Amino acid sequence: MVTPHDAGLAVLELKGIGKEFGAIRALHGVDLRISPGEVVGLMGDNGAGKSTLVKIIAGNFPPSHGEIRFDGKPVHFGRPIDARAVGIEVVYQDLALADNLTAAANVFLGRELKRKLGPFALLDHKAMAARALELFGELRSETRPHDLVKQMSGGQRQAVAIARTRLSNAKLVMMDEPTAAISVRQVEQVLSLIHRLKEQGVAVMLISHRMPDVFAVCDRVVVMRRGEKRADKAIGDTSPEEVTSLITGAKEAA
Amino acid sequence: MMKKELGLFLLLAVISAITGAINPAFLSFVNLLNMANLIGLFGVFALGEGLVIITGGIDLSLGSMFALLGVVFIDLLTTYQVPWPLALLLVLMGGLALGGIQGFLITRLKMQPFIVTLCGLLIYRGAARYYTSDSTRGFGYGDEASTLSNIASGNIGGIPNTFIFLIILALVLGVLLHRSVYGRWLYAVGKNEEAARFSGINTNLVIATAYVISGGLAGVSTVMFVFYTNSVSPSSFGNFYELYAIAAAVLGGCSLRGGEGSILGIVLGTALLQVLQNLVNILGIPNSLNFAVMGTVILIGVLADQQLQARRRRKAALASLARTAPKSKDSTILQSAALPTRAGDQA
Ligand SMILES: Nc1ncnc2c1ncn2[C@@H]1O[C@H](COP(=O)(O)OP(=O)(O)OP(=O)(O)O)[C@@H](O)[C@H]1O
Ligand SMILES: [Mg+2]
Repeated sequence: MVTPHDAGLAVLELKGIGKEFGAIRALHGVDLRISPGEVVGLMGDNGAGKSTLVKIIAGNFPPSHGEIRFDGKPVHFGRPIDARAVGIEVVYQDLALADNLTAAANVFLGRELKRKLGPFALLDHKAMAARALELFGELRSETRPHDLVKQMSGGQRQAVAIARTRLSNAKLVMMDEPTAAISVRQVEQVLSLIHRLKEQGVAVMLISHRMPDVFAVCDRVVVMRRGEKRADKAIGDTSPEEVTSLITGAKEAA
Repeated sequence: MMKKELGLFLLLAVISAITGAINPAFLSFVNLLNMANLIGLFGVFALGEGLVIITGGIDLSLGSMFALLGVVFIDLLTTYQVPWPLALLLVLMGGLALGGIQGFLITRLKMQPFIVTLCGLLIYRGAARYYTSDSTRGFGYGDEASTLSNIASGNIGGIPNTFIFLIILALVLGVLLHRSVYGRWLYAVGKNEEAARFSGINTNLVIATAYVISGGLAGVSTVMFVFYTNSVSPSSFGNFYELYAIAAAVLGGCSLRGGEGSILGIVLGTALLQVLQNLVNILGIPNSLNFAVMGTVILIGVLADQQLQARRRRKAALASLARTAPKSKDSTILQSAALPTRAGDQA
C-alpha cells in the first residue's frame, strides 16, 4: 500500500492553489500530493471548495494562484481537453451529460469514433455502441447503449458518466460525489471499480459526503473547510468521528 | 426519432388529400410545381434557422438580411456592372460575414441570441432603406445576369431549380447534422453546453458556425428571392420571413430549448406551411386569415407533439421498470422515483 507523502513520484502535485470568483474566495493555499495507485478521499461541507478544486485540476478554469504539477512537470490547462490529454478524467457532480443523446453518444462525447468515407469522416455508430456496451458490462450496469440518457435512472446515468473515464488510460480519475443518488448495489459497483482502478495503478480522487464509502476505499482523507485544507491523514490514523469534527469545524485542524 | 417526421408526413398527406378532394385544382400539376418552388425558396433558409435553433439560439435577422443583401446584389449587377459570379460571391460572403458577426457577439461577448439577432433585424432593414433612400431596386433591361437568373428561377424537366437545390442542400446538411461529429456536437451543445464544454468540445466554435451557416444560406436565399420577385423593395422584401423559418423549424420538431430537431423535419415543416398557405388561397378562405390559419396549425401541431412525447416517455419508463424489476429491488425504487410525475397525466 502506498503511504501518504510517499517519497515516490507524485502523479499530481498542487502547491498553494487559490481561486477567487470576484469577491468570493473559493480556495486558498491548497497543497496536495497524490501518488499513482493512491485513493484519496476529499471531504468537506457544502461550499467548502471541493468541486472548484476538481474543476481547476480538470482544466475547466485556471487557478488564481498556485502551481499544478502533473507527472512531475508544471502544467497549465487552458481547456478540459488539455487535462484529458495528459491523463486526467473526471466524473462531474452534476454528471454533465447531454440528455438528448444516447448513452453511447454521451460516453464518446468529444472523442467520437469515426470511419472514413472518401474525404469525409462520419460517426461510427456501431463501433461506439459496441465499445459502450463493453464498458457498461465492465461496470456491471444494465445500461443499454442506444437508450436516451433522459430516460435513464440515476444509477444508469452514473454508469454512463463513469464509463466515460474508461475510454482512455487515465492516470488520475476524479469522481465528484459518484455515489450520491444511486442505490446500495450500485454504490458497491462504484467502490469496486475504484478498487480496480487502484490495482491498475490509477490514482483516484473521491469526493463524497458518505463517510462509509470514504473509509471503505480510500488510503488517505483530505478535509476541506471554507476553501482551505484542514487535514490530510492516512485512513488508519483517523476515525469517522475525527473527520466529522474537522468537517463541521468542531476541530480546527489535524 | 423518426416517429415525429412520419407523423408530420401523414399530416401533410391528409391535408393535401382533403384539400385536393374539395378543390382538384390543388393537385394540378401547375399548382404542385408552384408549391415546390415556394418550398424550395423558403426551405433553404429554414434549414439554417433550424441549425441555429438546435444550438438553443434563434436568428431573427434573416428577412432583413434578404433586404440588405438584396439591394446590394442588384446594385452590384446594375449600377456597378459587376460580373454575376463575383456579385454572387460577394452576396454569399456578405451573408457569411453577417452570420459570423452575430455568432461572435453571441459566443464571445456572451450576448443573448434573441437580442443580437433582433438588433440585426433592425439594423439591416434600416441600412437597406437608407442605402436606397427607400426606393425599390430592380433590373434595368433584365440582361444583367440572365445566366444566373435562369439558374435561380429555371427548372429541370419542369421541376423548379429552387426545389432541386433544397433537396441537394437537405441531403448535405442531413449528413452534416445526423452523421458527422459536428452534428453530434451541435445537439450536445444545444442541450447542455456545459457538459459539452467539459467534454472538450469548443462550444463557441460549434455555436458560431451554426450562425455562419445560417447567414450563408440567407445569402443564397437572397439571390433566389431576388430572381423570384425581380425587384427589391427595401421596406418589405423578406419581411417576416424569419418567422416562417422559425415556424417551419418548430413545426418540424425543433425545440426552442435546443438540442432537438432534424433536417427532414424542417423540410416537412416548410412544406406543411406552404401547403397551408396554398390551401387558404385555393379553398377561397379570405386571405386576411392566412396568418391565423398558420398560427392555429402550429399551435395544435406543437401541442399534439408534446402530448404524444409525454405518453411515449411514460411508456418507456414503465417498460424499463418492468425490465429491471425482477433483478434488483432497490433499482426498481430508484426508477419509479425517476418516473415523470403522474399528476400531469391527462389520458
Ligand atoms: N462559477 C462560480 N462563480 C462564483 N462562485 C462560485 C463558482 N463556483 C463555485 N463558487 C463558490 O465557491 C464556493 C465553493 O463551491 P464548490 O462548488 O467548490 O463547493 P463544494 O465543496 O463542491 O460543495 P458541495 O458539497 O455542495 O458540492 C462556494 O461558495 C460557491 O458558491
Ligand atoms: Mg461540489
